[in-house]
Amino acid sequence: MRKSLPQTDLLLTLMGAPHADDTLTDTLRLVQALLDSGTRVSVWACGYATLLTQRALGECKPRNPASWDTEYPSTAAIIATMLAAHPEHLYWYGCRFCSDDRGADDHLAEVVMRPPARYAENVAAAGKTLVIGVM
Amino acid sequence: MLAIVEQAYRGALEKQFFDCFCLAAELHRQLGGLDMLLRGAAATYAVPAPEPVSLILGGRELATFSVPRTNLGTLLDAGAGVFVEREGLAEHGLTDVEPIDGITVVEGQELARRWPDYRTVCFL
Repeated sequence: MRKSLPQTDLLLTLMGAPHADDTLTDTLRLVQALLDSGTRVSVWACGYATLLTQRALGECKPRNPASWDTEYPSTAAIIATMLAAHPEHLYWYGCRFCSDDRGADDHLAEVVMRPPARYAENVAAAGKTLVIGVM
Repeated sequence: MLAIVEQAYRGALEKQFFDCFCLAAELHRQLGGLDMLLRGAAATYAVPAPEPVSLILGGRELATFSVPRTNLGTLLDAGAGVFVEREGLAEHGLTDVEPIDGITVVEGQELARRWPDYRTVCFL
């Protein structure tokens, strides 16, 4: 029997590719503000946004030769921190097809990979859906 | 070489230090000199502004974002040339704002006429 998805108030479908603009920064700031107001949030990462939660990214970015001792957290570490801080209010899903299509097959354990054919179930489990960025 | 930067604010969380200025500094070091032209939204980098505020995400403070104006200063200190298009400043209401010391304001076509003087012209 298939496990049902946890209900959330808002589903954010994040399609914007990282590194190209500030979509990810804006999205995570929005997620945090929603969580701070008690809103339950789920995120569905699609397209290149699926690359953000790869375990291969580690805790930190590669070292900065100009500031050798500064630690720069990876996107995976940032998202893992947010998920750990809000276990009953924040959920992160990834599109399995997009992820496999980009060779990203090893994600944070907290991230649930889902086939695109099940996307409607995620939409149904949320009060509202907001799509951010383009694929 | 001439490096043109016209897209601004790309990947604050993803890039942090590893942005177009980091690449420009390395190109300047390796290839014997670099001029940077700021145009479009990137023209806003040429005027003073407060440093980015830190973010609190999941209870963790993040304060390791790219600081474009500091990075421009590093480029200038290394001997790179930095120019900004007057049109870019005007588009963002910055006509009357003095650019950061060392940055030269140029007209839209001014650098384009000098392209033949450069071995390489590219966008960063």
